[in-house]
Amino acid sequence: MTKSTHLLSWFLQLCIVALLAPAAYFKLTDHPESIELFTDLDMEPTGRYVIGFLEAIACLLLLIPQAIIHGALLSLCVMMGAIIAHFTKLGFSEMFSFAPILLVILAAVIIFLRRSQIKSIARMLD
Amino acid sequence: MAGSVDLHKVSKFANMAIPSLAVLFFVGGVYVSFYFHFLTVAFILLTVVNLFYLHIQRKHTILRNFGILGQARYFIESIGPEMRQYLFANDTEERPFNRIERSEIYRKAKGVDSASSFGSQLDFDNSEIKIRHSMYPVNMDQITPFSLTFGEERGLKKAFTITKPYMISAMSYGALGENAVRALTRGAKLAGIPMNTGEGGTPKYHMEEGGDLIFQMGTAKFGVRNDDGSLNDQLLLDLIANDSIKMIEIKLSQGAKPGKGGLLPKEKITKEISELRSVPMGVDVVSPAHHIECTDGESTIKFIKRVQDLTQIPCGIKLCVGKTTEFREIIREMKAQDIFPDYIAIDGAEGGTGAAPKAFMDGYGMPLMAAIYSANKILTDEGVRNRTKILASGKLINSNKQFIALALGADAVCSARGFMLALGCIQSMLCGNNTCPAGITTHDPELQRGLDVEEKSTRIANYVNGLEHDFYEMLAASGIREAKDINIDHLYIPSDTALSDQIQFIVKETSEY
Ligand SMILES: Cc1cc2nc3c(=O)[nH]c(=O)nc-3n(C[C@H](O)[C@H](O)[C@H](O)COP(=O)(O)O)c2cc1C
Repeated sequence: MTKSTHLLSWFLQLCIVALLAPAAYFKLTDHPESIELFTDLDMEPTGRYVIGFLEAIACLLLLIPQAIIHGALLSLCVMMGAIIAHFTKLGFSEMFSFAPILLVILAAVIIFLRRSQIKSIARMLD
Repeated sequence: MAGSVDLHKVSKFANMAIPSLAVLFFVGGVYVSFYFHFLTVAFILLTVVNLFYLHIQRKHTILRNFGILGQARYFIESIGPEMRQYLFANDTEERPFNRIERSEIYRKAKGVDSASSFGSQLDFDNSEIKIRHSMYPVNMDQITPFSLTFGEERGLKKAFTITKPYMISAMSYGALGENAVRALTRGAKLAGIPMNTGEGGTPKYHMEEGGDLIFQMGTAKFGVRNDDGSLNDQLLLDLIANDSIKMIEIKLSQGAKPGKGGLLPKEKITKEISELRSVPMGVDVVSPAHHIECTDGESTIKFIKRVQDLTQIPCGIKLCVGKTTEFREIIREMKAQDIFPDYIAIDGAEGGTGAAPKAFMDGYGMPLMAAIYSANKILTDEGVRNRTKILASGKLINSNKQFIALALGADAVCSARGFMLALGCIQSMLCGNNTCPAGITTHDPELQRGLDVEEKSTRIANYVNGLEHDFYEMLAASGIREAKDINIDHLYIPSDTALSDQIQFIVKETSEY
């Protein structure tokens, strides 16, 4: 990775954390809006805790240099789930409904920038 | 292993199943429980990765052909050293080529550094020929670049010069699929080495790719035959009118099945094959065990002369040595008629092929190193070593083996399987089944699809460049300034080797003759 892609990647990581960390916090602290959301999904409360927990882990991994790629993969997965939720159950009534789409894109860019760090792919690239 | 599981079918099923499951889980997520979407997401990712493997990346034939299931192979390979060390065979045990030899080629073909650490895994007791270095290595710039001219002995106008001591040994279109032929020919052209067309008749795809070709005339003379299997002069002349064809090779025998002909079953004779090989459709065609023109020494040499006179380009012969006395007799016959082939390609008994009876593959012919030594010794004893060139083939896939062959008397080396490995062969041993998973020895378009001609042709060139690099470094280390000065004194030959036996034997035979 060159210096500029490195910087770009960190910038994107911080963007994701900035959006994801509050989401995780609200879910894990029983924020009424989160509870409403997960009631709609029929996942109250287990699903809310699981997802909140995964989001928190993803944030953490995104900040640990050796684990960034895994953090990006995890956020990608969780956010794909969120997109599915909005499409099938929740709809796109509010501004923040679009956040998952943005996050998926950011995570995908990070994965692309750091593709050589995925072990199995790196082995094949040599 | 062969045929027990059809990996191709399994992988096709998997490639269908993965996206289908994604859809199924999605439906489950919508109608049953949102928890299904954990699986939906996972399978969407798998689908994306699979599509990437199958349709976007071009480097890996196996992934391109089999998708994510093929990944299992890379995974198993990555834990392979441990598995073998603790459970199965070790790195030096597989045949014909062990893992150490294969991965060396893969690395050269990918152009990555092949330095290894800690120490050699090979034997140093009494079974392996080693190379002697000099106390006074020479500098690279003191070494004369390699050059070898075929046909110079006869003063041919169309003599053919090679500048790297390598050639791609005979493999026919038929044994190989179209993509493999194209990738090899294009790679050979990139690397600046000639490629032997094998006995598959008119080398249509080779000629389309261009580059330097050696046309092989097998015992059935596919492409240049009359219906009875004899040579059709006009067809041969028509063929060599193509500029790509630089030399002719008359194949007398090959190491994998010396003394054995073959049969081209009528089921295999498609319209294309019938045209390229000039054989009729609907009947089996026999490849005789010898050219019908060649029944003894005298007629064989006459036939060589006929081809030489007709074509006016260098003409060599390929054979696997059986009895050294017979070899000596034919050299004497050459002397008597004053006709010499422009090269003699010695194929060792260890040679490979698309399909041969087990008895012949395993049991017939003289091993290569002993055979080169004998051929060189006999030619030298008869005083005619300067009338022809010696080529050698038979597992000469890495720099050390090649150097040994050159030291024993070969002027250049040929390899078939070395280049197949560089193409991505994984030694599945299915060349005769049309199911080669690496898409090399198959005509199945779905399997050939994975073999990207452009990508793989650069691997061929990388492989040659890696070998050449080693070659010059080895010359320097042995203190040799010109390739022709490599000789047997540069070798350390333990007494347990087949070569050592043969040296003793030839000495005895020479004194009797
Ligand atoms: C798939 C395959 C096809 C071959 N076809 C021919 C052929 O048409 N004519 C021939 O003389 N030798 C043929 N050979 C033998 C090789 O040219 C070569 O002599 C032999 O494999 C030894 O070289 P290697 O050990 O480097 O593979 C074939 C070998 C292979 C593996």
